[in-house]
Amino acid sequence: MSNYYNMPKLPTENSPKVEIFVDDKPVMVPGDTNLLEALKAVGIETPHVCYHPFLPVSGNCRQCLVEQEGPRGRMLVIACYTPVAPGMKIYTPASSARVKNARKATQEFMLVNHPLDCPICDKAGECTLQENYMEAGQNESRMRPEYGKNYHGNPEHQFIDAKGQVRGGKHVDLGPRVLLDEERCVQCDRCVRFMRSIAGSEQLQLAGRADHTYITTFPGEKLDHEYDLCVTDVCPVGAMTAKYFRFQKRVWLLSHTPTISMDDSLGANIWLDHADGHIYRVMPRCNPEVNRSWLSNTSRLAFQNFDKNRLPAIDVESLPIGKGKIALVAGGSCTMEDLAALRMFKESLGDGAELFGGSLLKVGAPDGIAKSGDPVANRSGMKLMGFADVSEFMKRASEFETLVTVNADLFGEDAAVAKDLEKINCRIALSAFDDATARKATIAIGVRHWSEVQGTMVNSLNIIQKLNACPVCPDENLEAAYEVISELAGNKLESASAAFAKATEYASALAGLTYDSIKSTGKLLEGGNA
Amino acid sequence: MREHIQGAVQFVSNNRLKFDGPSQPIEALPDPAQTFGHVHKAVPQPAPKDVLAKLDTPEIKERCADLLSRYPVGQGALLEVLWLVQGVFGWVPTEGIRWAANVCGCAPAHALGVATFYTMYNHAPKGKFLLQFCRNISCTIKGAPSLIAYVEKKLGVKTGETTPDGLFTVLQVECLGSCGNGPMMLVNDDFATDVVDGELKMKRGTTLTEASIDRIIDWCKAHVNDMPKHDVLGGIVKGHGGHPGAPGATAKPQVADYAPPSPVLNVKAEADDAGATLTWKGAPEFTKIVVEKKNGNDWVAVGEPGVKDKAFVDASGKVGDVYRMIATSGERTAKPSNEAVTTQKPVPVEEGK
Amino acid sequence: MAEVVKVCTQNFGKGAQDIEVYKKLGGYANISERLFNMSQFELIDYVQRSNLRGRGGAGFPTGMKWSFVPRNSGKPVYIVVNADEGEGGTFKDHFLMMEDPHRLIEGLIIAAWALGSRAAYIYCRGEFLPCIESINKALNQAYAAGYLGENIMGTKFCFDIFVHRGAGAYICGEETALINSLEGQKGQPRLKPPFPAVSGAWKSPTCVNNVETIMALPWILQHDPSEYAKMGTPRAGGTKVFCISGDVKNPGVYEAPLGTPMMTMINEYAGGVVGGKLKAVLPGGSSCAPLTAEEAAVATMDYECLASMKTMFGSGAMIVINDTHNMVDLLNCLGNFYSHESCGQCTPCREGTGLLHRMLNLIVAGKGHDGDVELMQSLCGGFGGVTICPLSISLGGPVSSYTAKFRADFDEYIAKNPDHAKPRVQETYRPGIFW
Repeated sequence: MSNYYNMPKLPTENSPKVEIFVDDKPVMVPGDTNLLEALKAVGIETPHVCYHPFLPVSGNCRQCLVEQEGPRGRMLVIACYTPVAPGMKIYTPASSARVKNARKATQEFMLVNHPLDCPICDKAGECTLQENYMEAGQNESRMRPEYGKNYHGNPEHQFIDAKGQVRGGKHVDLGPRVLLDEERCVQCDRCVRFMRSIAGSEQLQLAGRADHTYITTFPGEKLDHEYDLCVTDVCPVGAMTAKYFRFQKRVWLLSHTPTISMDDSLGANIWLDHADGHIYRVMPRCNPEVNRSWLSNTSRLAFQNFDKNRLPAIDVESLPIGKGKIALVAGGSCTMEDLAALRMFKESLGDGAELFGGSLLKVGAPDGIAKSGDPVANRSGMKLMGFADVSEFMKRASEFETLVTVNADLFGEDAAVAKDLEKINCRIALSAFDDATARKATIAIGVRHWSEVQGTMVNSLNIIQKLNACPVCPDENLEAAYEVISELAGNKLESASAAFAKATEYASALAGLTYDSIKSTGKLLEGGNA
Repeated sequence: MREHIQGAVQFVSNNRLKFDGPSQPIEALPDPAQTFGHVHKAVPQPAPKDVLAKLDTPEIKERCADLLSRYPVGQGALLEVLWLVQGVFGWVPTEGIRWAANVCGCAPAHALGVATFYTMYNHAPKGKFLLQFCRNISCTIKGAPSLIAYVEKKLGVKTGETTPDGLFTVLQVECLGSCGNGPMMLVNDDFATDVVDGELKMKRGTTLTEASIDRIIDWCKAHVNDMPKHDVLGGIVKGHGGHPGAPGATAKPQVADYAPPSPVLNVKAEADDAGATLTWKGAPEFTKIVVEKKNGNDWVAVGEPGVKDKAFVDASGKVGDVYRMIATSGERTAKPSNEAVTTQKPVPVEEGK
Repeated sequence: MAEVVKVCTQNFGKGAQDIEVYKKLGGYANISERLFNMSQFELIDYVQRSNLRGRGGAGFPTGMKWSFVPRNSGKPVYIVVNADEGEGGTFKDHFLMMEDPHRLIEGLIIAAWALGSRAAYIYCRGEFLPCIESINKALNQAYAAGYLGENIMGTKFCFDIFVHRGAGAYICGEETALINSLEGQKGQPRLKPPFPAVSGAWKSPTCVNNVETIMALPWILQHDPSEYAKMGTPRAGGTKVFCISGDVKNPGVYEAPLGTPMMTMINEYAGGVVGGKLKAVLPGGSSCAPLTAEEAAVATMDYECLASMKTMFGSGAMIVINDTHNMVDLLNCLGNFYSHESCGQCTPCREGTGLLHRMLNLIVAGKGHDGDVELMQSLCGGFGGVTICPLSISLGGPVSSYTAKFRADFDEYIAKNPDHAKPRVQETYRPGIFW
């Protein structure tokens, strides 16, 4: 479709408020956005399929119709493409039978070629079409089976089912991570727009036209992109499904924990969807400032290893720390609370201890979508807390006699450093995983993984964001790193809010903040550049 | 009915469970894409290197360069480059689509979408003579359906199929834009209603009949080896400079001052007690307007209304005065407007509502 | 039949494809001081006064359309000629381009002078390869004669014309779809605003005009605009090239002033109805509502009269239908056509035209049911004003009007199904049967 679709303007806190008339009642709405977002801001939901706040507007589903009073009388317009204008008069189904009927008609058209396979559809329960249908749908079909269907997807994938009906391809392998069900596609164009406008690689297209339009990649090519799983998020129906989550769990059985992906310093906001003690999938959590609605495959699929190769909890009263200098190295996924505990620990050890943080992995370039390229998630936090970079430690590694690593897999990150590090006699590793550093350690203490702890982190945009504990910890004896460290320091911090209070003492930029005052979308710290 | 497809969906299609469904399978209507004959079903593709070898000729390179010079963005030439591919192969192989995308600098998937959107690109080889019959309303009124049935019977093929000797492919298409001669058919790229003097012709007032179809098909069979060849883009135009800024283009952007500057149009003057009121029609590019009044043989400037103003009042104006206006656009001053002789302003009529 | 002034078709049959013949017939006389002394503003005013309205179907005043194009905006201005005529019954552009390509070129030079355009594109539908050949031949001659290219006839004015061959999509007749197609994309209409006059091809101001509109310009410039305006109705000036097809003795292209009575067109120009009595007339191409014989007797061929009769003037393509035809067959044709030509963008059009097409196919195949007609009418209600372009209404309108005006034809077909009264059975969902 046209390359000239524009991104929708979304309302912000600073949007000017203008008065419009919805169903003849005056309401104040954000003035610099489209009607759909403006109505949402005042609590009026408009059903939509093709519109996505972070994708260019294509306006092709025609589901978000409202009536607008214009010079030529009341006209049906699509809310997603109509800008808000002061004084405009809008009629929603609440007062206009025409709008109600038009939406109902569009809904009926949308279901003409859509299969009724919700019971086996992974999207059931979070399907836009289902939601619209339950809200505005027509409950009895007017079609006869004789009318048949035109749309069977790609002719190459059609087959004849046991009833003798021509069917569209049910699981077309689009690439390494995504499967396509051609029958369920409603041609909303979202995946095409995502791949073209957001991912910047036009790998998907709608081929053909009219009601035999079908989604396809170029013949013989695979859908393969770092963000290709996002097409399964934007797909309003069950056409695009992720292979890793297919048939794993009904979505209404999943509980959701909002947290932060700690593998990149942008700190993508995510949902950990879990049930019966396991994470089943990771979904991006909308944060317009940070990752919008996107999440990279790496961050999304990382959860598959969260419960594997874990270190057990061990009870340690005190550490066999030598007399020489002590290096305390915090890994990239350490939260602010862990850093605060480390500082407490350093103070308890006296002048011989020094704080380092970071990782030996290379820092990449930001991709402009949901990754900053820096594997040290809390790098900004480390700066605030006065941690020197780990490269500094590597330069002076020979000075130290004791090394304490917290979720910092120095051995694993760079095999070349093993030679230097092995010269340090006492190596203590606090780690979630039984990684190379833990195996080489004198003592390896298991701690909770970041998905299982409460805490905060400061991302590369200087936004402090909050992690929540997902109840999937494989061993209930495991404690968060800050709990273990602070206990070693002699003053156990019992909760994340207590630990955060400690962190505010050390970092002036956090002064005045409390753990509970940080919202789910984070808070921009002073001097930030977001 | 379509065959089962192999591979991943096999277990679905082999799932022949007993069920109490309808005793007769529900008859699926033929896919419109099939009735039209534009079947996008996968066909054996030539080897990529064969495709590229055929497209790598100096002539095609020259045509591509000419096409790319016509559009400000290379993608504009995509349809035309796909035509070139179809001109070489008679259809558009997948590798040809990728080649066209590379020529035009767009994504292959985009080119695929375009190539499948437009129905004139063939995605499978066709017979030497592609017979396209219009089945739209005017031709149907004049009997197109029975003619198509006649041709299908005569050639022994259904719409969308090719005769076993590879000579004819029959297609049904929508309006061919020759309804006055309907029913109408295209033989490859030629409109034809009959054979006149040994050539396919669409003569005014003639229509396709069963007898003339017979003659056309006989003509085709006789001309298998000397088919009329058309350039897919209707020939080469020489002399154009391309689009300014496009690769290979010599054209420069249009200069702003090729035309004389715009004068004020439609100047009217009407006088009443308050003086003479001038109205006029002004162009959006005006930067200055001067109103002049005739004094003997000289013109005296009496005022300078704003360029967006709708009217100008000369307080001293009276019936019989002659005005003109001179507009300036940027640095250029236009010729004076028409000379307007002031008339008496009619008394406004009260509306009786 | 009174002698009428021929504006666009005056050179038909005179061999005007050759530039020398065309010049002898008075061609290119405008590309002289007559044009070069005119400012852009004057020329646009001139066309406005001629009351010329777009001949493609919508009938928008051409001069007004041109006046919307911002001048000296720093961006190039494009003129795109819409030669993608593909609506059933319309075939005037085909003959205009075949017979008189130089008039199109001359008209384009005039339009380019008015708009300051540097490049124009003639978007010609792919099926019209002979027309493209005719135009390309004429372009070569015009370039050689110096009417096109750099510094035309010694002025500072430079202008190039390119022909763009479409590839078979009726929807590209919609101006924004045409622009998308010109840009090498799918021909899918764009959301509006912005309108093409402000942001069209390659985000530059673009003026899309029909072939006939452009071809009327040379005549208008040679004569006084009031002379052109005088020929038509008060709200639309000039003559119109009518295409008459269907059951008439002499189908073809006829030029006549706007406001000519419909029966005059059918009986005097086209030689009368053949094969039976007049049953219906489609006055403006396949997408308009039909007029019954009684309505046709009082109709005149102009925008206002036909609008008042709840149909439309469109492109002036009259399709005459005699009483041997069943309207269901013809509506089935339209169902095939519009479902095939829907671009697949908007849901109601994509799914709705296909559904109507299948229902009509069933009725024609003798498998219709009672209630099908009401359901079709109801479905067409879901088209009204909800899609980006009016293609869905182009089928919805005929379905509503054919079923309303010729209901007996539908009932006749539905009665052929022995089970036509069988009520609709709700097909229940039976899990476990298939999966």
